[in-house]
Amino acid sequence: MKRIAIRNLRLCTKDCLCLYVCPTGASDTEDSIIDTSKCIGCGSCSDACPSGAISLVPAEYPAQQRKSEKVMDVMEKLAASKASEEKIASMLSADESAPNLKRLLKALKQSARLSAEDIMREGGYMLPQSGNSLSLLSRLADEPSQGFPKEAAKELLSSIRCNDGGYEPPSAMYKCERCFTEFESSSGDKAVCPMCGAEGNHLKPI
Amino acid sequence: MKYICQICGYVYDEETEGVPFGELPDNWTCPMCKAPKNMFLPEDAEEEERKKPDMEIPELQDMERLPPGVLAALFSNLAKGAEKQYQSHQEKLFREIAAYYEAAVPEIPDADISLLMKIAERNISLYGEAMETARRDGDRGAMRALTWGGKIQKIITSILSQYEKEGESALENVDIWVCTICGFIYTGENPPAICPVCKVPSWKFSKVV
Ligand code: SF4
Ligand code: SF4
Repeated sequence: MKRIAIRNLRLCTKDCLCLYVCPTGASDTEDSIIDTSKCIGCGSCSDACPSGAISLVPAEYPAQQRKSEKVMDVMEKLAASKASEEKIASMLSADESAPNLKRLLKALKQSARLSAEDIMREGGYMLPQSGNSLSLLSRLADEPSQGFPKEAAKELLSSIRCNDGGYEPPSAMYKCERCFTEFESSSGDKAVCPMCGAEGNHLKPI
Repeated sequence: MKYICQICGYVYDEETEGVPFGELPDNWTCPMCKAPKNMFLPEDAEEEERKKPDMEIPELQDMERLPPGVLAALFSNLAKGAEKQYQSHQEKLFREIAAYYEAAVPEIPDADISLLMKIAERNISLYGEAMETARRDGDRGAMRALTWGGKIQKIITSILSQYEKEGESALENVDIWVCTICGFIYTGENPPAICPVCKVPSWKFSKVV
């Protein structure tokens, strides 16, 4: 399975060998985040790192454990109630003048959000690349409520590949102007004519 | 007799401590996690508590399946998922969507501390109900989240009721810390060495200012 290196910035001491051993320059970047497009997953950097700061992770994550409808149901109900807790704490803290209560309400707001996140994580939305997450995102983007950041959603949908078959990116029809073949191509992939291999300008969406 | 802290599991053994539990002052707190005295249950009662049948849950009104507040948490969680995979651009996009939904959460009429308290108390029973479902399904991931959240919910109600009793003096000259991993709330000069709920080290706590 293809792997890529990631660097834990909290552990990295920035003073050793990983730059010297990397055959592709992937580990040498201005923000210290390993360039995943260059990394070939050879593992030299993680072998050389004295701080255990680099690990090799799969390039594609396995599908998550399936959640039952019942569990998803109770988790959603609970998360909705935690969200009310968060909202009330947030509204009250904004107006509160007593300093200690204000701090307490802020703490309650933060805490409620963390719990709600955890509940949804275990309620079927752990990974961005899961079918649940992506199909929810595409439903929201298809019928956007007012002001919904549609561009952000579209960019996510086209850049994240589903890892469990739960989401198919919509496909588009093209006509090749070189060999006149009509074909379908999923919007996640670059369109290439299956007959003659033409791409780009030769293809017209229909 | 032994008494066990429902938050962190600290055992108060009357025999070794020399003071009967009932004689400890009301403001006594757990030496490990500062949970108040009423978070302790006698060892045998603890079993009972676990077996207690589900409480009647008051029906929640107007509940959409995924209201904006839930979507906010769902997407800020996916942002964390992207962050862990070092996908900082995707993280940013998920945060943008989370912020949109956070702003879209409707104001709650008549919000005040006692409503907050009521919801926090209701959440204790919702946690119990969810735990039963997760256990029947053998869903240990969900059980993990519910164990953490359920403990935190109890701490929240106890801090709130302490504030309702004592007012501002309940939190005078003391810092409030939130565990950034599980949401545990701790009051004290320094954060605990490890989080009593999720066991992460103290640097994972952030001070509320
Ligand atoms: S070898 Fe490890 S600790 Fe050293 S600079 Fe590289 S990642 Fe950081
Ligand atoms: S795994 Fe290999 S290619 Fe990737 S960053 Fe490390 S040394 Fe470079």
